[in-house]
Amino acid sequence: MLLQVEGLCKAFGGLRAVDDLSLVVSEGEILGLLGPNGSGKTTVFNLIAGALRADAGLVRLSGRDITRHPASIRTRLGIARTFQLVRPLPHLTALDNVLVAQLFGRGAGPLRPEARDASRRLLDLVGLGAKASVPGANLTLAERKRLEIARALATHPRVMLLDEPLGGLNATEVQTALALLRTIRADDVTLVIVEHNVPAVRSLCDRIIVLNSGRPIAEGKPDEALARPEVIEVYLGR
Amino acid sequence: MRIGAAVRVMALAGAAALVVMPAFTATSVVLNWGFLILLYTALAQSWNLLGGFGGQVNLGHAAFFGLGALTTRILWLHGMAVSAALLAGTAAAAAAGLVIGAPGLRLRGPYFAVGTLAVAEILRITVGNILPEVSSLPAARLAAYAITPRYYLALGLAACVTITARMLAHSRFGYGLAAMREDEEVAEAIGVSTFRYKLLAFIISSGFAGAAGGVFGYYHLSFYPQFAFNPVWTFDALLITFLGGVGTVWGPLAGAVFFLLLREVLALRLGELHLLIFGVLFILIVAALPGGFVEAWRSLPVMRRELVAEASNSVADSVRRRRRSP
Repeated sequence: MLLQVEGLCKAFGGLRAVDDLSLVVSEGEILGLLGPNGSGKTTVFNLIAGALRADAGLVRLSGRDITRHPASIRTRLGIARTFQLVRPLPHLTALDNVLVAQLFGRGAGPLRPEARDASRRLLDLVGLGAKASVPGANLTLAERKRLEIARALATHPRVMLLDEPLGGLNATEVQTALALLRTIRADDVTLVIVEHNVPAVRSLCDRIIVLNSGRPIAEGKPDEALARPEVIEVYLGR
Repeated sequence: MRIGAAVRVMALAGAAALVVMPAFTATSVVLNWGFLILLYTALAQSWNLLGGFGGQVNLGHAAFFGLGALTTRILWLHGMAVSAALLAGTAAAAAAGLVIGAPGLRLRGPYFAVGTLAVAEILRITVGNILPEVSSLPAARLAAYAITPRYYLALGLAACVTITARMLAHSRFGYGLAAMREDEEVAEAIGVSTFRYKLLAFIISSGFAGAAGGVFGYYHLSFYPQFAFNPVWTFDALLITFLGGVGTVWGPLAGAVFFLLLREVLALRLGELHLLIFGVLFILIVAALPGGFVEAWRSLPVMRRELVAEASNSVADSVRRRRRSP
């Protein structure tokens, strides 16, 4: 088990955003996290990545308890994430956005020309090679999404949490992004994806978990899980 | 690149001129001027290390300046060598940075700014109550007073802080600070231990502020200890940094030259009213020229190119329009 979540709880006031959630992510798989708006998907990401502290429950990476670790330590242990509302570092160039992650992520080293070269290669990989010197604030949405992925990759993650990597992209951009995600998986990075684009989820994910009100209501291969009556009910009503 | 080389030669010439200046001028007025510019450069740059590069607005900078000034002055007047006293003042300010920063930096943004301001004011009032007497140099020290060593001390300090800023701007540490300034949550998410980085930058910034205070304590003939803790040291440093270019290596120097020249001219004519002009200037700079003089200077070639492009476009447009019309 690469990533293990046991009995995770998080409440915001009276709202139980994540309610006694347990799940496992195996090495090398692509797990999809689905569910209606407000079902707690992003909160799960925040709890796993360390942006939020859990009220109860455990998060383990390769068996190691990381529940109390701050986000930066978790990143250095191999958990990378992207943000649903993209957040480039606005005044840094695209290259520097990636370079910082390269300098501080897992197995990070000193500031050497090699680090810059590696960052450049990552920009090429996500198709932003020509935008290396453009400030983050001046990129388009599709470019920012790709920058987020390059930045997360630069931390040399073992598992990447992708929060709606396809949201707001047009059909062509979605195809490009899917190809990119498959390339990343081929590089032995495990992926957990929150995504509303169902056809994309079907074609990409090995397994999905559907959440409602912070609890899992279905789990399995995408086609099977999506066909369950409980799932259809939360999306469409009875 | 030719402009870059020219700037470098000018900078070297300027540095050389600063070094040899005391040998050529007999009047201490000029050296006093040079001293003040260098002192304010050092102080502003020390603020810039945390405020500019790290994005943490510290409104209690005067506390560290004051601690450095007080510690250095007392030790020196009690017979310690000035270099040792200055080191002690720096250390005292840096230690205070650790003590105040460790809890204070848990606060974010405006809360941190107000919190530091409050701590500095508490310190100022406390010092005013414990040491109400004016601190004047005794006759023997006055007789031996010379501006030249003070000038060199300020020159050394300004160079030291500026070099630190320059090294920082191109280091891993600097990248971590930049990420933190841009977006703290993202910085954490890519592995930057933001609290440790903030604290370290705060300690360095406070230490240099203390050193600047120490130089001031060694320079000034007589002042009330409380004066070294006056918030004006914070706000002058902040204003200078923003005028010159916040988060840039050369901003504090450019800002200090401009600030002291303007203050001299305005204060002579307008008295206390000159503060009003600085306030308006500050707002104008923040609103219209957020990168200060340094960014304006850097974007000059770009602006020129854009202006030329715009002009040629509009000419082309008008030509096209004229062709279209019968």
